Amino acid sequence: MPALALRGIVKRFGDLVAVDGVDLDLESGAVVALIGENGAGKSTLANIAFGSIAADEGSIERNGVVGLVHQHFQLVERLSVWENVLLGREPRKGWRLDIAAARARVRELGERYGLHVDPDALVETLPVGLKQRVELLRELEREPAILLLDEPTAVLAPSEIESFFATVVALAKRGIAILVVTHKLAEVISYTSRVNVMRAGRIVARYETAQTNADELARVMVGGEIPRLAERTAMPRQVSPVVHISGLRARTESDEIAGLDLALGAGEILGVAGVEGNGQTALADALAGVCGYEGTIRFRDEDLPPTLGPRARILRGMQIVPQDRQREALVLDWDVTENAILGRERNPELRRGLQIDRAAARAFAQTIVDRFDVRPPQVDTLVRSLSGGNQQKIVVGRVLAGQPTFVLAYQPTRGIDVGAAALVQSRLIEARNAGTAILLISFELDEIFALADRVVVLYRGKIAGEFERDAFDRGRIGALMAGSS
Amino acid sequence: MKFSRGIRDAAIAFGIIIVFGSLAMLLAGVNPVDGFTALLIGAVGNVPETAETLVQTTSLLFPALGIALAFRAGLFNIGAEGQLLIGGLFAGVIGERLIAPGIIAIPLLLLAGAVGGGAWGALAGWLRARFAANEVIATLMLNYVAIQVAAYAITGPLKSAAGAGNETGELPASSWLPTILPDTRLSIALLLALALALLLRWMLRSTVIGYQLRAVGDAPRTAQRAGIDLAKMRFWTMAFSGAIAGFGGATIVLGVLHRFNLALSPGYGFIGIAVALVGELDPLWVTVAAFLFGMLQNGAIGMQAAANVPRDVVTAIEGLIILVLAGRRIITRSGAD
Repeated sequence: MPALALRGIVKRFGDLVAVDGVDLDLESGAVVALIGENGAGKSTLANIAFGSIAADEGSIERNGVVGLVHQHFQLVERLSVWENVLLGREPRKGWRLDIAAARARVRELGERYGLHVDPDALVETLPVGLKQRVELLRELEREPAILLLDEPTAVLAPSEIESFFATVVALAKRGIAILVVTHKLAEVISYTSRVNVMRAGRIVARYETAQTNADELARVMVGGEIPRLAERTAMPRQVSPVVHISGLRARTESDEIAGLDLALGAGEILGVAGVEGNGQTALADALAGVCGYEGTIRFRDEDLPPTLGPRARILRGMQIVPQDRQREALVLDWDVTENAILGRERNPELRRGLQIDRAAARAFAQTIVDRFDVRPPQVDTLVRSLSGGNQQKIVVGRVLAGQPTFVLAYQPTRGIDVGAAALVQSRLIEARNAGTAILLISFELDEIFALADRVVVLYRGKIAGEFERDAFDRGRIGALMAGSS
Repeated sequence: MKFSRGIRDAAIAFGIIIVFGSLAMLLAGVNPVDGFTALLIGAVGNVPETAETLVQTTSLLFPALGIALAFRAGLFNIGAEGQLLIGGLFAGVIGERLIAPGIIAIPLLLLAGAVGGGAWGALAGWLRARFAANEVIATLMLNYVAIQVAAYAITGPLKSAAGAGNETGELPASSWLPTILPDTRLSIALLLALALALLLRWMLRSTVIGYQLRAVGDAPRTAQRAGIDLAKMRFWTMAFSGAIAGFGGATIVLGVLHRFNLALSPGYGFIGIAVALVGELDPLWVTVAAFLFGMLQNGAIGMQAAANVPRDVVTAIEGLIILVLAGRRIITRSGAD
């Protein structure tokens, strides 16, 4: 008898069929992978299995409690570890909390599963790896028979991923049925016993992990060949850097940098590797001119004061692909044309006196739509109705139009389909070939390895190491990302 | 998205008018059909009443347009009442002393009203830009300050010989706004308001500055990274929004009362919030909404006389509409960056 059996699951969101007739069994003691591109429906399926989304059709049989660990931590930062783990199920003594029993319970859970965390530590002070332990403990506290993990390693360093999966495999050995929802194929190959591949709402292939490989999975996931990236041409190393950062200190709500130095030349892609939260956002915001900083950012032959705003930087040839395209790069309720001209609305060629020149704006938007193969190709489509990949094509198209001297690309392919990602990456390589200096901040090592001429590792707001393209070392870089020297 | 929300706001407003209006009329022992008929006749039953409804429409339209503009930039300006009052104060205090031909005095006094209201709006805009002060609180509080400032001004340092108690002396007749319908209070202010609505619509839809203003309102973080100066845009929008309300206050002084009076507005700046929201923040529809609320305002008087329903019923209904529509926006507003 399977621990979890899904039969004929269908889920629609308006016109979109997110899940289209899926059968899936989970057996006790097995680690099973569910893979697929963004938008394939795998998170929706996990939420249906958990019960937080109701299916429109089909049946669900659960033999035991189901636990779900979300991609984004669902923790109350200002509470302690035990308060988070036992939230809503606090042990009581009469009408009072039984804090001693609560601590003991969390300690006992930690002992049992090898997930040690100080029960009294404040969650906001914990590093991400430990926060994830707290998430896991909270689900395990309910003694689940089935555990669903939605993109569990998105915020972990490579070495943390290893120990995380060691825990997962140990949990399976105790008889828990485990489903890992992911798009990282290396993890699937290393740690799971069976793989289900989802595409456009259906499970299109099932494998014993031992009988497949990452290349085959990637092809099935995409439904065709993986598109090839543009060729990189040989570029002479520039003598004087385009961007020269020294002793930079900056802080945002999410992270900070503390004394960072780097230099970047024309026709070079410099990859910034690192786990999320190590200063990437502070670095990006300082360069964009939207957060204050100390230290110097030198652009060509000019020191940019912190008070120099985004407009002045854009005019100097600095362009940004922000991390959060929906909140920082687009106006979702506007059409493609209005989004395409954002940042250029004051340029004489798009203006007729006080008015925006509609015809010129549409023509400009059309060039981006054509060059980036935006679908549908109509410039009056509302951006909200476009897929993430097509939204990002507009952002990157806007940034690369007019040959900027410098581009900061922060997670330029986050959460978009493989085809769009390859197109965006190819355009970035072409811009580099044409002499643009590109700073690529990414949490995906694969992306950095595919694009970068040089890699620096960002750890706790400082550069922890630097590698040339011909000396990329996944093991070394992974270790530096986790803080070992 | 936006469209359906606007339709929903209008539907909510009508629902409140029908349901709560009927309820209140039943409580007053009046058949709602009779009550609403009296309201309608009182509003547009004959030429003089229709003219008076248009006077109310005009007085509502200025603050509503100012509010709509601020709101499109993501600024919840609920200080139009104070801005209108200060605008009226400027026009009244200067107006009663200014002896000049109308062709000079009228534009000058309207401009003075805009400057006064604009300064009052800019004050809130400055607090927002400089100290990140919540403009809801700032503009709301400044309403009370405005009343006190105006009361102090006309009873204290700016008191004139002709002024009495809570009002200034009368403006010279040459400074009155010309009426467009004999024997009514309907003045060219209506035409100015309609022209302003068209101008704002053009500004928001077609100009670069309108584009930037909408960007700041719809996606502030995006706008900032695209090189639009948020602080500057918010400051000038608040100033302009206040100037529109202040201009409206001046038209009441020049066109309706011919003096400044502390009771200049029965809450035009607050009802204007409902007008702006029901009008979907689009100047064209705001104009339509202003007419509907103008009918409510003026029809209430006829309703009280003909059907014996207290006109406070309309005040209560308007208050409820503001509470529901504006309250929902303030609550669901997120990421006030």
